[in-house]
Amino acid sequence: MIARKEMLRAKVRFGLLVGAIALLVFLILFQQALRDGLITSFIGAIEHQDAPVLVYSTDARRNLQSSTITPELEAQVREVDGVGAIGRIGQGTYSVTADGEITGAAVIGYEKRSLGAPETLTAGRYPTADGEGIANESDASAGFDLGDVVTVQPGGYRIRIVGQSKDTNLQASPTIFAKYGTWEQAVQAANPDAQTPLPNALGVRPAPGVTPQQVVTRINAVDDSLEALTRGDAATKAPGVAQVGRSFLVIFFLYALVIPLVIGLFFLIVTLQKARSLTVLRAIGARSSTLVRGLLAQVLVVVGLGVVIGTLLFLPLSFMRIGSIPLSFDAPAVGAWAVGILVLGLLSSWFSARRVLRIEPAAALSGGGAT
Amino acid sequence: MRLALREMLRRPGQFMTAAVLLTLIAMLLMLLGGLLDGLILRSTGAIRAQRADLVVFSATAEQSFLRSRVTPETRAQVAAVPGVTSVGGIGVTQLGARIPGNGPRDLADVALFGYQQAPDGVPAPPADGEVWADSILQDNGVKQGQTLQLGPSRSKVKVVGFVDDVSYSGAGSLWANPATWRAVQNENRPASSVAPGVFQALVVRTSGSSSSVADAIDQATAESAGGATETVSLAAASDAIGGVKQQRSVFNQIIGVTLVIAAVVVALFFALLTVERVGLYGVLKAIGARSRTLFAGVVAQAAVVALTAAAVGTVFAVLLDVLLPPGAIPYQLLPSRVVISGVSLLIAAVIGSSFSLRRVLRVDPASAIGRAS
Repeated sequence: MIARKEMLRAKVRFGLLVGAIALLVFLILFQQALRDGLITSFIGAIEHQDAPVLVYSTDARRNLQSSTITPELEAQVREVDGVGAIGRIGQGTYSVTADGEITGAAVIGYEKRSLGAPETLTAGRYPTADGEGIANESDASAGFDLGDVVTVQPGGYRIRIVGQSKDTNLQASPTIFAKYGTWEQAVQAANPDAQTPLPNALGVRPAPGVTPQQVVTRINAVDDSLEALTRGDAATKAPGVAQVGRSFLVIFFLYALVIPLVIGLFFLIVTLQKARSLTVLRAIGARSSTLVRGLLAQVLVVVGLGVVIGTLLFLPLSFMRIGSIPLSFDAPAVGAWAVGILVLGLLSSWFSARRVLRIEPAAALSGGGAT
Repeated sequence: MRLALREMLRRPGQFMTAAVLLTLIAMLLMLLGGLLDGLILRSTGAIRAQRADLVVFSATAEQSFLRSRVTPETRAQVAAVPGVTSVGGIGVTQLGARIPGNGPRDLADVALFGYQQAPDGVPAPPADGEVWADSILQDNGVKQGQTLQLGPSRSKVKVVGFVDDVSYSGAGSLWANPATWRAVQNENRPASSVAPGVFQALVVRTSGSSSSVADAIDQATAESAGGATETVSLAAASDAIGGVKQQRSVFNQIIGVTLVIAAVVVALFFALLTVERVGLYGVLKAIGARSRTLFAGVVAQAAVVALTAAAVGTVFAVLLDVLLPPGAIPYQLLPSRVVISGVSLLIAAVIGSSFSLRRVLRVDPASAIGRAS
């Protein structure tokens, strides 16, 4: 009761702390969304295509566009025990005209729909002929909406968007999934000097009873020039993904230090300021546990309000894009951060709680208890 | 103000928490700045090193080397534009390199450049099959005299020497003559083959205003059968490298919000400190101290805390720079970054401490003396 009244009487003081925590929460959620959006826009196309195993050439360093599968390598993969089905995948980034503007777009050509196309569509249909494609729904406003026609430059090859998928971008560019023949024609349109393109990768489905990991192990044992990866590994081990993850981890770690320090400092100063009053309360019979409970209640209310306000501030931002990176509201991640920050807040009040427990009621008689 | 500084000397513990918080923020600022500079420098070195004023791409390429093709006809038109003093063809291919002595799957990312006009620090184009190598490739075990195998076709190139600060898109670069580059490109990237005489871009030196020469080049090639061009400055060509703009924008946003947090931390700390000192300020005002003097003391204390934090943050940043194993993370500490981070933190601290101004102004000497007594 006293703790609540104290907060109501010192609205500015507690409001400042709530504001600071809200800002920190907002920043963390924004950075979390930015990291997720950044990674998804780089490797979403790999993560959400439906081939369980992808085979690159080792030289590609796990970069789809840099990979080249020669006929010899392809033949070796086809011979591997446990390989059920194989489909060629071609990919390149080309200049295209979309919505009257020239822009860079990744085109991914798949030979078999079940080995390289997006797992699911959010609208439209899968291509049934060359010259048709699927685009990411977040690029609709940039000329990649259903029914839009995208033209590969400088050759002028036209691809009509007939389907839409979600989170299927590659290299943070608008991305079109199409039949393999569409990709081959896009290559010729983009570069008249091009020779017949070789596939960039192979999509592999294991035979019944064989796991993707087993197929990966067997393919990698065949030739050092082949690098097979499960779909998950192909996404998470793509160039740059680990670096982005590490950089953000360091930032999150520093924020995890700043939050308890801000909260801990605030409540420690407040506790020191009211030390004399707390001593009097102890002298007239208030138990230490009651005072500590009041302190913890204040921490919970302040941190809880900060988390709620920070989350509400982030909410409208989560529907926006930062450049080409779409942000999103990831409820489980927000929940995890909220719990984590509450726990950090409670832990940070330990110094204040210890100070409260050390109060000697008898000191009130001698006018003690001040800082 | 002298009183405020003396207080800091006599009771340093009171300012310790704010100093620790600001030091963490200073460390974060330096780390973020170092990462940004490291990423940008490692991405743009090869373009920054060009001894040129302009880069000419094909018009539809959106300043992407990969998607650009400049034909010999277009090149002749560019060379004929008044104000153009020299033109050199350039092209780049990004590949995996097999290094002798490394494991069969332990490849290095490289960017093989074919060039005619030598960039700063790079000698004239070497003989066929030879390359100058970026010195950061030494971290991958590359040595002078070695023969590297590039790409899936395992095209062989011999390293004849090293050059500095010419990385491209995060990869170490190799510098070959145009014939070697074209051969390696066509062997390994059949879909991106380059015909004889064709380059991905041109680097152009100019006399006079380079922006008007750039406009003149694009005008001259607008109706060209060989293809229209888009001519940009070196800085614009550097920014057009994949990820550079995005990285700069994202990191600057994070740095900006971190500075806001620093201001909030300082505001919070000095607001509480001012609340504690209301009685003291009342006494000081009663004996003639002006609000301006008291406020200047608060600002001076915030500045000292911020400068101390910046100094410790700088030591941390320097240690990180020294202790990090080469190539672990793209971190590079520049003196300009240290100065910018320190000054930014100082400004944030001064702004944060300014929030105590209202409270200092509101102190009533008479009532404060009553409370103090």
